[in-house]
Amino acid sequence: MIEVRSIRKSFGRIQALDGIGFSAHRGEVLGLLGPNGAGKSTCIAVCTGMIAPDSGSVSIGGRGSPRDPEVRRLLGVAPQQMALYESLTARENLAFFGRLYGVADPVRRADELLDAVGLLPRARDRVGGFSGGMQRRLNLAAALVHDPPVLLLDEPTAGVDPQSRGAILETVGRLAAEGRAIIYTTHYMEEAQRTCSRVVVMDHGRAIAEGTVQDLRAAHGGDLESAFLALTGREIRD
Amino acid sequence: MRAVLVLAAKDLRVLLRDRAAAFFTFAFPVAIALLFGYVFSGTTGEPLQVAVLVERDSPAARAFVGMMESDGAFAVVRAATREEGESLVRGTEAIALVTVPSDWEERLAGVRAGGSAGLRVEFDPARRAEGGLLVGKMHELGFRAAFGEAASAWKPVAVDASELAMERGVPANSFAISFSQGVAWALFGAVLSFCAGIAEERQRGTLVRLLVSPMRPASILLGKAVACFLACMAAEWLLVAVGAAFFGVSVSSWAWLAVASAATAFGFSGVMMLLAGGFRTQGGAQGAGRAVLLVLAMLGGGTVPLVFMPGFLRTLSDVSPFKWAVLVAEGCTWRAWGAAEMWMPLAALVVIGAVGLASGAALVRRTA
Repeated sequence: MIEVRSIRKSFGRIQALDGIGFSAHRGEVLGLLGPNGAGKSTCIAVCTGMIAPDSGSVSIGGRGSPRDPEVRRLLGVAPQQMALYESLTARENLAFFGRLYGVADPVRRADELLDAVGLLPRARDRVGGFSGGMQRRLNLAAALVHDPPVLLLDEPTAGVDPQSRGAILETVGRLAAEGRAIIYTTHYMEEAQRTCSRVVVMDHGRAIAEGTVQDLRAAHGGDLESAFLALTGREIRD
Repeated sequence: MRAVLVLAAKDLRVLLRDRAAAFFTFAFPVAIALLFGYVFSGTTGEPLQVAVLVERDSPAARAFVGMMESDGAFAVVRAATREEGESLVRGTEAIALVTVPSDWEERLAGVRAGGSAGLRVEFDPARRAEGGLLVGKMHELGFRAAFGEAASAWKPVAVDASELAMERGVPANSFAISFSQGVAWALFGAVLSFCAGIAEERQRGTLVRLLVSPMRPASILLGKAVACFLACMAAEWLLVAVGAAFFGVSVSSWAWLAVASAATAFGFSGVMMLLAGGFRTQGGAQGAGRAVLLVLAMLGGGTVPLVFMPGFLRTLSDVSPFKWAVLVAEGCTWRAWGAAEMWMPLAALVVIGAVGLASGAALVRRTA
């Protein structure tokens, strides 16, 4: 569903992506792991078509580059920031994004998604008054408004309480079971261990390891966090 | 195009939900127009407030003050002491202090023999023009006091003064000027709100969500420009409607008003885009952006009307887009301009809009 081939991208003298490649298939949650500065955000930006790579290619659903607006219809993105309008209600936010994608009945679709993430009772409340966990769930719902087959979820559980995290992970599992391809970035290793069918560990813009969680644990011993630290080192990254 | 309108509708809804932004775009300009309208109405047709100090009471001094009081040009306030008189002028309750000297009666009698009856006039430096008028009136009244009422019929220079009936080009009242000024403040509010709105979208990440949608970046910016355009139009029409309905502001041509408000809204959508490209953060837009707009608005006639500006300042104000907006607003109200006078300010607004949109959009895309 999404195929990333040998992407290189530099900003001045900084090589942000250095020939990285991976793919995520239907029904699969691919974890994109890496320390700060590994190139995950640049990789996500290239996958969404916001940044053009210097070389290499991204193909979505076999239909070509996400730089093409029509190809972007196949993508749903939950950015790391709460990309929501605080002065609008939860329903208005989702209905607005639905209208942008030409969804037939955006208000009904908004209510379906609010129900799915447990926010239907708060549909008429302004998002500015929502807790961090509620905003995260709504941020995920906004990525689903046009029912995309490919999802890019950039740290979708950052800064939320265990209850909301549990709800988000449950939703991600359900979305994969429905047949979507999901790329999932996170700094929480136990979360990746629980959610991802495969992981790619990135560092210095390259994929330094790829496989199932079991593969990595078998190769490096211990749990996923031990494997991650063995691959990327223990020095602090800024 | 549908997505562009969806985005514009969302931006207008966000503007209306933000009470401060809505206030500064729609209510504040009306309040400013009313304030300046009442301020300017106090400077026309009212008698001059003058403080008078009589140093020594005498029949001649009483007669002179009586002449002043009966002259329609003055509203006389008696001052018992010099300090009180100066205080009235410094407190702006009077434009000047006229002192009738203690030897007024004797000196007045000496005028026929070639002497001079001296009066002292001290005026507020901010009211020089009225001060000059007062000196002239003192000469007139002094002549009448010295030579009697009959002598006042003698006029060495016959000045035939009358009010010229103007077909057009004269404001019906002070609100005709102040409501055109209000346009500058309406545009100020709208541009600042949308400029800060784009910066907020960039900071909050909603711009990312828009950029990963099927909309092209150019369509996203067009949606922002359309929303700003509609807000500018609405604010301008609201001002004209309030002015026309309640304050005697007359519209000389509704067709010209439609053209003028469209050109103004287009021009200021360009200004908004240029500022949005220049200021990446909401703080930058609301701080530095506000300062830039404030200076331009003041220079363009937002505080001192263009008609009251000294010549050099009026020339300097050409650099302000607000000047052209105020001019076209005046053009289709009290100036009653036609195509010959309207084309230049309209062209200036269209050029400002086109340049602003093109260069601003390039800057916003580079910093998205």
